[in-house]
Amino acid sequence: MKQTSNTFLDNAHAALQDPAKVQRRDLLALFAPLIRSAAVDSFGHFDELRQQVKQVKQHTLDHLDHYLEKFEREALRNGNHLHYAGDGDQLNSIVLEICQRHSARRVVKGKSMVTEETGLNDFLKRAGLRVMETDLGEYIIQQAGETPSHIVGPALHKSAAEVRELFLAKHDLGERELAETTDMVAEARLVLREHFLKADVGIIGANALIAQNGYSMLVTNEGNGDLCANLPNVLIICTTIDRVVPRARDATAMLRLLVRSATGQPQTCYTSFYSGPRREHDIDGPLETHIVLLDNRRSEILASDYREMLQCIRCGACLNHCPIYAGVGGHAYGWVYPGPMGSILTPLLTSLEQSNALPNACTSCGRCAEVCPADIPLPDLLRDLRHDETRQKLSSSRWRTGLRLHAWLARQPTLYRAFTSLGIFTLHLLGRRKGGFTRLPLAAGWTSQRDFPAPEGRTFMQQYAAIQREEKAREHKAAQAAAQSQSAEQAGPEPVVAGEPRSRRAPPAAAKPAAAARAKPRRAPRGQAPTERIEPSLGTDWSDDKPGGQGHE
Amino acid sequence: MTNLPTEQPSPRPALRVSLFVTCLADLFRPSVAFASIKLLEQAGCEVSIPLQQTCCGQPAYNTGDYAASAPLARRLIQQFEAADYVVVPSGSCAGMICHHYPKLLEGEWRERALQLAAKTFELTTFLHDIARLKRGERAPIKLPAVTYHDSCAGLRELGIKAQPRALLRELCDAELTELQQTEVCCGFGGTFCAKMPEISGKMVADKLASAVATRAQILAGGDLGCLLNIAGRARRSGETIEVRHIAELLCGDLESPAIGRGQ
Amino acid sequence: MTNPAGRAMSDSPRSRIFARVQQASRPADGDAIERELASLGAAPSADLPAADLAVAFLANVLKNFGSVDCVANRSAAVKTLAEYLYRHFRSHRLVAGNDPNLAAMPWREAGVLPRFGTVEPGEPVALSYALLGVAEIGAVVTVTGKANPAANNLLSEHHIVLVDSTRLVRDMESAWERIEAESAKTGRPRGINFIAGPSSTADIEGKLVYGAHGPRNWHVILMGDVPATALAAAHTLAGR
Repeated sequence: MKQTSNTFLDNAHAALQDPAKVQRRDLLALFAPLIRSAAVDSFGHFDELRQQVKQVKQHTLDHLDHYLEKFEREALRNGNHLHYAGDGDQLNSIVLEICQRHSARRVVKGKSMVTEETGLNDFLKRAGLRVMETDLGEYIIQQAGETPSHIVGPALHKSAAEVRELFLAKHDLGERELAETTDMVAEARLVLREHFLKADVGIIGANALIAQNGYSMLVTNEGNGDLCANLPNVLIICTTIDRVVPRARDATAMLRLLVRSATGQPQTCYTSFYSGPRREHDIDGPLETHIVLLDNRRSEILASDYREMLQCIRCGACLNHCPIYAGVGGHAYGWVYPGPMGSILTPLLTSLEQSNALPNACTSCGRCAEVCPADIPLPDLLRDLRHDETRQKLSSSRWRTGLRLHAWLARQPTLYRAFTSLGIFTLHLLGRRKGGFTRLPLAAGWTSQRDFPAPEGRTFMQQYAAIQREEKAREHKAAQAAAQSQSAEQAGPEPVVAGEPRSRRAPPAAAKPAAAARAKPRRAPRGQAPTERIEPSLGTDWSDDKPGGQGHE
Repeated sequence: MTNLPTEQPSPRPALRVSLFVTCLADLFRPSVAFASIKLLEQAGCEVSIPLQQTCCGQPAYNTGDYAASAPLARRLIQQFEAADYVVVPSGSCAGMICHHYPKLLEGEWRERALQLAAKTFELTTFLHDIARLKRGERAPIKLPAVTYHDSCAGLRELGIKAQPRALLRELCDAELTELQQTEVCCGFGGTFCAKMPEISGKMVADKLASAVATRAQILAGGDLGCLLNIAGRARRSGETIEVRHIAELLCGDLESPAIGRGQ
Repeated sequence: MTNPAGRAMSDSPRSRIFARVQQASRPADGDAIERELASLGAAPSADLPAADLAVAFLANVLKNFGSVDCVANRSAAVKTLAEYLYRHFRSHRLVAGNDPNLAAMPWREAGVLPRFGTVEPGEPVALSYALLGVAEIGAVVTVTGKANPAANNLLSEHHIVLVDSTRLVRDMESAWERIEAESAKTGRPRGINFIAGPSSTADIEGKLVYGAHGPRNWHVILMGDVPATALAAAHTLAGR
């Protein structure tokens, strides 16, 4: 797939132009979360499930060498051919070679994002093979010459009307209405049935690879994956090394998370486990089965600080809950994987240079992490990628310098006060009548979409400093007056003593439990020894009779 | 048996609070800081303001410049760690201190960050959960119809949802209508709103539409970043809904112009 | 590349991948790894809608958009099947898998004419005999082999599945335990299929449609010593 991740802003702009598409995305963003939360609530112990599955997955990744070896042993014992592909090109070549060895002409495919990653379809097509996507969503975009916009529902960006037009154009079936979605699905069923029955090779992915017994697991609602896996004579499973789980029960536990998170169902219609080729008491099934294990940088990610990303089960919940994905849709991300998971995987699987816009398409709202069934700290990983971007100087130098300047200034309180007092008071004077600015130098990004509210008045610290000075002046006067008159009845009520250093400290109140922190500190800046020592200074006491706080000049 | 004089329940010793006003309140809306002080004192706290405070370091941190942000984090820890409590009228700044400082720093500084985090609270959380601010003898503050925006950091990092609403019920006489899609981001996101203005614009337009649809007169929230964003869009779109910080409502400070409104 | 005998070439993609993975893995011996895994306990499963396994199973099948029947014995089963065939197709014909349990049913009592074999394109209804029924997920389990042609699960418009009430298990893990116990004697089945609904898709605008590639109608007949109230209870629970 040609990558356009770094024109993300242009892609996003284009996506925002069509009001009908914007509205459709808004509807999906409204309903998908409701459907998911209904399923999660009805399950009841979702967090417990999430934690257990995560621990098993992390354990598996900790010992991936052991489990990969075990899977290989069992899969070979089951009669599979096993292949290893370092990158996408190798996977494509392996698959082609298998097809050519069998003089295959026609291929049927189940939905596989891995094969999108490697560009398998185009590669096989160029070699003269006829490749038919059989998942309805994948079939639709294949016919339309488009790429998937969502990892679970690849064609959700298309309206029923658009699908109707497409089918009328592509299926030579004479005059017909195709008025309803049910008609379109029935037509796709009819057209694809023939392909299932005549295919030489079936290609599917795997949702899990079970080390204990060499089975691969495949889930669909349509049943197309099973048709691909049972009817043709040759079956090729294209998958990645990080799909391995230790036991069947670990795959089924993960399934409870996956389906609820992806579609809000408690279970997929078809959950199948395949061990290998036809054996003597089988009357159907492929004569030869191949499992192609792709690395394509998973082993690199495993060794990196982004290792947790390998826990992803491809449910798409993060997409469904991300306001940026909802706003601009999947195509804006410019590659195979969109949304929060895509904004992390794309830089890791391609390069940060080609895709550094993506980790920035994030407000750190945290909704993705909240719903992630694999409990991946997505906002942290996205921020770490922005950290990499900063260190590699891929981000705009204007922003980098500006923020550094701000951070430096914030470390010089006197200078900060001087600068902000002047700037803010100027803005206040300029804007106080109208309350805001429609344009402001250096703030074009902000003001392109909204007005810039005027500051309220002098800065708080300015006002506070002024109040302190008044306090001290009053204090001084009162002290003088008290010194002059010796008589106790003369002295008025004790003025509030300002600026008195605290000499006694109450014992600290019972602290709340320490904020949950990551077990490992993330990305601490290197070589930074604390250099400043600033004496903490506690300011004045406030008493109740101070005026509300407005209009201190 | 001696007749002991009935003991009065000893008044709770005043909670000693250091206020981190946040740079946005300092620069754009000091009334939020003043309101926070007033509320804390109503709750029987002694409030102090460390004078060297500036910024918690979020802007650089969120953009991924950990090196620029860490010195600010260390400064803040040094300024505030002697306090009994640290209160912050912002969910995102409180979240920065409580959740992100321990991620940003290592070794001894991480320990100090954790200790500070244990006693740092966002304003409404502190008032409701710790200081247990009650209306007491004061009359309820009469407010026009209100709706509320939950800022993402406050909601998800600190679990702030019930507290501002409870305080509104306790201190004010106000009808609160909840926003549709209240848990969806308003599009501020720090530098995001300026780096990706068009997408941010859509998000804030959606949030504003939700607010306007409640027919409330006031939109309140706990984070000035969000509120400046929404108020700016309201002004641009000609919507009359008033945007204010929750602290202003809770102490009845409605005379000053709402965010983005002239005098 | 490896052949089924498993001899890898040195400096092959395989060895390079394994080298990288090994470097990123924590060294430990197999037993320690097993112990560590065992210490992670078991994942929670969904609560059953009813304490009775049969009621729970039927309720969940209904929630999965299947239709259900409950019969006491094989005679009742064939009669129910006859009714179904007549109601939907005005016919007495169906294709049944080669499971000996199906062959042994008293078809003549209900006048049904089964053909035992693989469903051909165009044949509207296929009957399977389930290995197991799984209550937690409202699913039936078939394994590939002579008894169950894969096409019978997938190609016809109507798929009817007969489940013996003594073959109900609570969840997928229990199902796997049973399957693994049997595999020890007969070898690993090529394919194990958990079917929890008629074929469906929501790929067009998110609208749910049945009969995507597989059956449009999924009918489950639970056969055996099941309380008389089970069916009604299941319908109430499922709200269907």
